[in-house]
Amino acid sequence: MATARPLTICDVYDGFLAGKKLTEDEWDYDIIPTNATKLKDKYKLNFGKNMVPEDKSTMNNLFAAGLEMLVSTGFYNSDLKRVLKISETDVWEGIKKTPKQIILGEGRDCARFYPRRGNSPVKPIIQGGPTGAPVSEDVFVQVMQSYAQESVVDTIVNGVMATIEGHPAITNTPYEIRALMAEIRGVREATVRAGRPYIAI
Amino acid sequence: MRPCDSHECSQLNELKVDMAALNMLSGWVENGNTIMIEQMPIFGGYCGMVEETAICDVASTLASFALFHGNYHLDGPIHIRWGITTSRETIQIAAHVAAAIDANTDLLLANQYYPIAGPCTEMCLLETAAQAIADTASGRELLSGSAAAKGVAQDKTTGMEARIMGEAAKATAGMKIADVNKILEKLVSSYEKNYAKAPAGKDFRQCYDVLTVKPTAEYLKVYEGAVKALAGFGLEIKN
Repeated sequence: MATARPLTICDVYDGFLAGKKLTEDEWDYDIIPTNATKLKDKYKLNFGKNMVPEDKSTMNNLFAAGLEMLVSTGFYNSDLKRVLKISETDVWEGIKKTPKQIILGEGRDCARFYPRRGNSPVKPIIQGGPTGAPVSEDVFVQVMQSYAQESVVDTIVNGVMATIEGHPAITNTPYEIRALMAEIRGVREATVRAGRPYIAI
Repeated sequence: MRPCDSHECSQLNELKVDMAALNMLSGWVENGNTIMIEQMPIFGGYCGMVEETAICDVASTLASFALFHGNYHLDGPIHIRWGITTSRETIQIAAHVAAAIDANTDLLLANQYYPIAGPCTEMCLLETAAQAIADTASGRELLSGSAAAKGVAQDKTTGMEARIMGEAAKATAGMKIADVNKILEKLVSSYEKNYAKAPAGKDFRQCYDVLTVKPTAEYLKVYEGAVKALAGFGLEIKN
């Protein structure tokens, strides 16, 4: 059946509210492993030794198995303890609505984020940074600059500032937000020092 | 934050989300922010082994776009025993998932890096290069990293690891997949026996001059050693 529109975040929330109740243990220890194994068998998936697949049938079977996993299993909300069901049409509608070309950053520091299509001769975007690893407050700018100044780096991903003015940046405390804002300022300072003020973060 | 910067939101393992994520996403969508949805499926965890983890990974990736308004998906299959993305199994999962989605959609796919060895070690650079080779060859559009020393040790990450990630990707782009697999087999075999005694590496302050933010001569030498080793495995990185 045709969809009314791509799902919104509120549609997803409503879908969870209307979903079946289930304990998180049932989801983790029963539903996920059982369904994944069933689909591995159904689609006869065996990757063998190749780290990167060379045959189209493995790629297509894995895609079909993953799509069926999402549609037949649904998605679990760990706060509501409920399972959202999604149709295959909704999945394709979501794929269709997603922009396929994005510009990250601005001006001379921008990176074009376009589909590559297999092992295209075009290199992927290099997003340099500690990827969430903890970084001391006193060297935060320097650590981030060490990435921003690399010519092969196109965009920046930040590390986590371990403290803010000496206080641990503990989750769900004002220090967490203060550290986050300091991180953003620190990354900006690092990109300016590297001569790339408009690079995406 | 500008519309051309990215906001990151994480799913939970496996095929789960919480209300904090939905609430953040609701605001970001209305603001027109660029959204990166992250999920690191656990190899050997709830999903099971390689193929089952890959199935869950494809499902999680599709959910990022269909349910959560992601503009791009940041993957990162992680090994339950070692806590890394650079193992043979997790590289194989990520590469198969990317190739599968790339062959069937034009979605934008990213992957993140958690090697076991720390900075200023050849092992760290070789692990990072291995994943970059596989990610590039399997069609990913963005490589994000690298969180050396498993991303848990403070100040154990530097720009030099991103350099090898980018240079290995550049050298791989356009290669035949059969050739890539031969390189990967030799490369991963060279370090995978050393996880239990992986070198911890050095602190940022020992890898760089903190005042000038220049890498030390020692780290540049280690980098050159890694480039030489990669050439021996069949990947030529040009200076």
